[in-house]
Amino acid sequence: MASVEIQNVRKAYGDVETIKGVSIDVPDGSFVALVGPSGCGKSTLLRMIAGLEEISGGTIRIDSRVVNDVEPKHRDIAMVFQNYALYPHMTIAENMGFSLRLAKRPKPEIAERVADAARILGLADYLDRYPKQLSGGQRQRVAMGRAIVRNPKVFLFDEPLSNLDAQLRVQMRAELKDIHARIRTTTVYVTHDQIEAMTMADRIVVMRAGVIEQIGAPLDLYDRPANTFVAGFIGSPSMNFLNGVISDDRQSVVTGDGVVLPLASPAAAEAGRPVVYGIRPEHLSAGSADAPLSLAITTVEPTGSETFLLGSIGEQKVSAQLRERIVTKPGDQLPLTLMPSNAHLFDAKTGLRIE
Amino acid sequence: MTISSDHNAAEHGEGRSLRRKKQIVDVSIDVFLFVVSILMLLPLVFLVANAFKTPAEMLAWPPTIIPRDPTLENFSAVLGETPLLRWIGNSLSFAVMSMIAIVATSAIAGYIFGKFRFRSMNVIFALFLATAVVPFEVYMIPLYFQVKALGLLNSTWGLLIGYLVMSFGIFLIRQNVIHAVPDELLEAARIDGAGEFWIFLHIVLPLLRGPLGALSVLAFFQAWTAFAWPMIIATTQSSYTIEVGLALFQTGFTVDLGRLSAASATVLIPSILLFVILRRNFVQGVASTGMKE
Repeated sequence: MASVEIQNVRKAYGDVETIKGVSIDVPDGSFVALVGPSGCGKSTLLRMIAGLEEISGGTIRIDSRVVNDVEPKHRDIAMVFQNYALYPHMTIAENMGFSLRLAKRPKPEIAERVADAARILGLADYLDRYPKQLSGGQRQRVAMGRAIVRNPKVFLFDEPLSNLDAQLRVQMRAELKDIHARIRTTTVYVTHDQIEAMTMADRIVVMRAGVIEQIGAPLDLYDRPANTFVAGFIGSPSMNFLNGVISDDRQSVVTGDGVVLPLASPAAAEAGRPVVYGIRPEHLSAGSADAPLSLAITTVEPTGSETFLLGSIGEQKVSAQLRERIVTKPGDQLPLTLMPSNAHLFDAKTGLRIE
Repeated sequence: MTISSDHNAAEHGEGRSLRRKKQIVDVSIDVFLFVVSILMLLPLVFLVANAFKTPAEMLAWPPTIIPRDPTLENFSAVLGETPLLRWIGNSLSFAVMSMIAIVATSAIAGYIFGKFRFRSMNVIFALFLATAVVPFEVYMIPLYFQVKALGLLNSTWGLLIGYLVMSFGIFLIRQNVIHAVPDELLEAARIDGAGEFWIFLHIVLPLLRGPLGALSVLAFFQAWTAFAWPMIIATTQSSYTIEVGLALFQTGFTVDLGRLSAASATVLIPSILLFVILRRNFVQGVASTGMKE
């Protein structure tokens, strides 16, 4: 096991810089998720850690050793790919024992380590089969088995669950988390699915356009997003953003159409400053007739456990996720309340959080 | 009730006529393909039949498919009076060695063109493809002088020099590498600790079995049926390949049809054998267009 230190790493293709000076510390034994929309550079960064892409600037250390120019095979890492990358002409046992065979380990040792990994992953009955005879979830497990067998210093995962169906993804998510809890190998996990990142990682790195937007524990990112991008990216459904200005008493935000949005404490910004008021859909609840907000409903989506409403407050689009079952229909006005302590305040120009 | 049953009857009638129409189309396609395949097979059947006929029967009209009076005389004459087996041997060694060389060069070059990205690579690949445009006959003579200077006339090595590389083979393998060998597979192997040559041998080659099988058949028959090049390289009877040897039966004024047929029928055997053995690979390799998993 080892730590991974990424310092001011850059990647440029000609004049185009895709990673613009990124620094991340991945402590020994931790599980760090890199998330962000497509093209944010998260996969490139992972491939740079693996040694599959060259680094244009900065340093990467694995276990305190600078590995900038070290070949992938000498970095002591294991990588799991989105499309599994299993060798189709080898059996599951051969696939899993491949790296050990290359390292010229004695056959009994290979067999034993493969059997161990197969037991952990529930693959013991499939060792003689070929990849094409397995289901997607089983193939993904073989790909993980191939990584586990090597007992590497670092695991790198490149969107390993994106090819699975929704149900299997939830199941594999739990299995992955469980495996990490047992073997505690330092893990860097790339995903575009923030739920995956939230549920599995110790720490999340949110990236956009080659820059880190925020690093933190999953609930920190949820509770205290550093800017509107992170606020909108973390959490599902996405946070509502309402434009307005700080009121004269700094106790609320007033929108252009006169809606007053309450704040828990006086804003750390001068009165009249343009701001963005953020409130998560799940933090809105149905209120009594005299509630301060009123949602003009356009869509009602009941899911059984909760009701998802789309509509507008004043001129601005808002969604609400209510835990209770309410009888309503498009065109209705629904009074909403919120806890001011759940509201977030961002600068309208920079998008940065205002405490 | 009556309305719905009438409706049903009408629907059934329509379904029946649709089915019948489909059946007629299917049968006509079958008949058409059957006739075409008979037409394609007929020359081959006559060739083999003629090999067993007497000269008189061969010229008889209407021609017979099964010889009335089968004879082995043509075969014994061909095998006894000409070094036919020797020619077959020459052709076999030429075709097999050419096949090995072409498979090896195409696999390596195709893999490199398909997976390694250097700026100069596209230029080199374009040059390779350009060589396919130049007919062999254009550079056959300069190549002949080269073979002569090397002292390789009348030898399999001399024959081989014109048939070491096939630009179509490189193209075929490159396309298959791009479609059938994902980058991740090579990267996974690199991370697992495999060297580049090891990856080529143990990962890439097994995945290219189909196209390489197809290429083997193509390369084998290209050399097996080569005529002009062996004609100028082989100047003594004992170094002839079978194609050149067969031409001997046809002089400026006469054609010895019986012997030519017997010799040709003998020559068919190795080709048919090879095709039967590699048939599955051949079909797979030619048909694979990225439809693989």
